[in-house]
Amino acid sequence: MTKHVLLNSIEHLDLKVITERGAEFGDNVWFTPTFPLEFRSVQAHYPIFFHKDASTGQFFSVAVFGFSHQENLFLHDDNWRGYYVPLTLRRQPFLIGKQVVREDGAEQTQTVIHLDIDSPRVSKEQGEALFLPLGGGSPYLDEVSNMLKTIHLGLQDNAAFVALLLEHKLLESFTLDIQLDDGSKHQMIGFYTINEDSLAALSTEVLGQLHAKGYLQAIYMLIASQANVRSLLKLKNQLNATAAC
Amino acid sequence: MEQQIKSIVIVGGGTAGWLTAAILAADHNVDQGQLLSPTALNITLVESPDVATIGVGEGTWPSMRHTLQHIGISETEFINSCDASFKQGSQFNNWCTNSADTYLHPFSLPVGIPDFNICPYWLPFLQQVSFADAVNAQARLSLAGLAPKQISTAEYSFINNYGYHLDAGKFSNLLQQHATSKLGVQHVKAHIAQIRNTVTGNIDAIITTDGRALHADLFIDCSGAASMLLGQHLAVPFIQQKQVLFNDSALAVQLPYPQADAAIASCTQSTAQPNGWVWDIGLQSRRGVGHVYSSAHCSDDQAEQQLRHYLQQSGAENTELLTLRKLSFNPGHYARCWQKNCVAIGMAAGFIEPLEASALALVEWSAKYVSAQLPLPNSLLSIAADRMNQAFNQHWQQIIEFLKLHYVLSKRRDHDYWHDHRESSSIPPRLQHLLQFWQHKVPSNQDITHSDVLFPAASYQYILYGMGFETQQSAPLKPSQQKKAQALFEENIKRVQQLAAALPPNRQLLDKIRQYGLPPI
Repeated sequence: MTKHVLLNSIEHLDLKVITERGAEFGDNVWFTPTFPLEFRSVQAHYPIFFHKDASTGQFFSVAVFGFSHQENLFLHDDNWRGYYVPLTLRRQPFLIGKQVVREDGAEQTQTVIHLDIDSPRVSKEQGEALFLPLGGGSPYLDEVSNMLKTIHLGLQDNAAFVALLLEHKLLESFTLDIQLDDGSKHQMIGFYTINEDSLAALSTEVLGQLHAKGYLQAIYMLIASQANVRSLLKLKNQLNATAAC
Repeated sequence: MEQQIKSIVIVGGGTAGWLTAAILAADHNVDQGQLLSPTALNITLVESPDVATIGVGEGTWPSMRHTLQHIGISETEFINSCDASFKQGSQFNNWCTNSADTYLHPFSLPVGIPDFNICPYWLPFLQQVSFADAVNAQARLSLAGLAPKQISTAEYSFINNYGYHLDAGKFSNLLQQHATSKLGVQHVKAHIAQIRNTVTGNIDAIITTDGRALHADLFIDCSGAASMLLGQHLAVPFIQQKQVLFNDSALAVQLPYPQADAAIASCTQSTAQPNGWVWDIGLQSRRGVGHVYSSAHCSDDQAEQQLRHYLQQSGAENTELLTLRKLSFNPGHYARCWQKNCVAIGMAAGFIEPLEASALALVEWSAKYVSAQLPLPNSLLSIAADRMNQAFNQHWQQIIEFLKLHYVLSKRRDHDYWHDHRESSSIPPRLQHLLQFWQHKVPSNQDITHSDVLFPAASYQYILYGMGFETQQSAPLKPSQQKKAQALFEENIKRVQQLAAALPPNRQLLDKIRQYGLPPI
C-alpha cells in the first residue's frame, strides 16, 4: 500500500530513507519510465521502448529490465550490478505533488515534494537523513529535489517528443520473440518502438525540426538501445543456468 | 480520350450529403492525408442556408468506424465534438410478450464465425442460456454498461465491436468542416430555383436563386425526404411499404440526464409499445428518445401519452415540461436510386423506419458504391446505374424483411397493431418461406442470396432466438463439432469474466477520452 503525504520538516524531521536497491524495496519492476533527457545514460545498459500507461493511454518511454512482470534482471544483491539506475526508480519513495497557493491574491500552482510514508524505504534507524539536526534540508534531500525537478521536466518533454513521433507516424508496435538457451520460447508484446521506414522517409524539413529539439539524437539513441535486448537475454540465461545448478 | 464523369454536385447538406462528399473526396482526392493537386474529382455541395436538417438518426453501425478513419477524422475529435458515445447493439424490451422480456442484438458476431456456425450447438441449451449470452461476451458486458474498449486501445480499434450514438447536427457540422477544410469540397450556400436538363434528359445544371448555374457530370440527391432530383424532377416512382411496415410517425424529444455522472447506456434501447416502439439513445450530455408508431393504429395524443409514460418510467423528471417534435414519414423507397446522371443517397432514396438504425449504414454503402464507379466513362453511365439499382433493391428487400421479422415474431396480443403485423398478407413471401425453413434449420449465410449484405445470418439468429423462435433441428449434431462448440462456449465464459474486470464503464472511458484522447496507434 502507498500513502502519499506532503513532506515537512516537523513531522518528518527524524525520518531516514534507505537507498540500497532490492526487491524488498519494490525494485523488482519489469520497466520504468524514462525520458529523452536521460536517454544517454539509460541507453548504455537497457533497451528503451515505448509503453502505454493503462490508465491514460498515453505513451511513455521506458527502460526495460526483463521479459515479464516483476522481472528485473539487473537486481543483484543490493547493488544493481553497479549500473546507472533511472531517475524514476532512484526517486523512490518521493514523488512530485502539486499544491495550489495564494500569492498576492492570485492562485498559483507550485510543485512540492510528497513522500510515500508507507514505503519500506522509510525508516527511523537507517539510511540517509532528510533533515539536518539543526533544521534545513540535508544534501540528500537537495539531491531528491533536483531529481524530482528533472523528472518533472523530463516527462513533460517526453510528452512533446511522443506527440511529434505520433504526428510523423514514427511509432510502431512490435512483438519481441526470444528463445532462451534452454530452448524455451517467450513473446513480449505491448511495446512500441521507432518505425525506421518512416524515419528514413522523413523530409529534411521534419528532420530539421526534430534535430532542433534534440529529438533526432534521442531517436537514434532509442534505436541503438535495442542492442541491449542481447544483454537482457544473457542475464536471463545466466539466471536460469544458476537456478538449474 | 472518352469523356469521364468527374465533376459532382451534391444537393443537400445533412449527414447524408456531407458523408457522401467526404467519402468521395477521401477516395479520390487525398493521398496519405494530403490533398492531391489537381484533384481527380471536382466535388461541390450545395445546400439551402435555412433548411433545418432532420437531426434524428443518431445511431450508427460499426461500419462508421472504418468510414471515419478512411475520411481522416481522428476518433478522439469525433467523439468529443459530436457528443458521441459507444453503441454495442440494440436491446429489445417487451417485444416478445410485453411481460418485461428483453434480448440483445449485439454488434459482435457469434464466436466461431466465419468458419463455424455455432448456432445449432446452442439449441440444446436454450433453456439454460440465451443465444446472445452463449455466443459472445458483448451481450453481458454491454448490458453491464461497460465500454467496448480501454483508454489504451488505439483509435478505431476495439475489444468488443462497436458503432456510435451521436448528435446528428454536430456530426453534420464536423463532416462539413472536415470536408471543406481538409478534403477540398466546395460549399455553396444557395436556394435552388430550377433544375435544367440537357437534350438527352440528363441533368445539366442546378440553377440557384442568386442566378448561379452549377454544372456537373453527376448529381447526387441528398435532399432528404423531399427527394428534389430523383423523386420530384426525374419522377422516379416511389414504392410504398406501409402495407408491410406500418410506422409512419414519430415523436422525438431530447432530455438531460438526472445527474451529470449518470451511467450512459451502451446499447440503443428499443421498447415495444401498443402501436409502435420507443427508441432511447444515450449520448454524453443527454438522451434522445422517440416514439415511432403507426398513425393508422394510434392518434398523436395517444402516442404522446405513451411516450411521456415511458419517460417517467425511465426516471426522467418534469416530463410535462419537455417539448416533443413530431415527424411524419412515408415508409418506402424509390424504384431506382440511380436515374440518368443522378444518384439519390439517404432519405432522398427512401426510408422505412428507425428500427435497427440502418439509415446511415445505407448512406455509407451508397456513397462507397458510387465512389467505386468513379471516374466513369460516359458510355458506362447506364450500366453502372443498372448495377447499383439492382444492389439497391436487394438491400431494401433485405431491410424490409429483416425489420418485419421483429414484428412477425412477436407474441404480443394487446393491440391490433401487433395482430396486423402477423397477418400473412402483410408478410413478404420470401420472408414467409425463410420462416418455414428456419423451423427446421438455423439461419446460415446460404439463406442470403446476394453478397455485400447489410444483415448477415448472425443477425437473423440474434433476432429469431432472442424472440424465442423454435427450430426443431432435423440434422443430427456431430460429436466432434459439439466438442468444438463446447470449447467455444467455455472460452466465451472466461472472456466475459476477464473483460468484466478490465473494461471501464462507458461514461468513465468517455471522460478519459476528453481528458487524454485515445492513442492513434
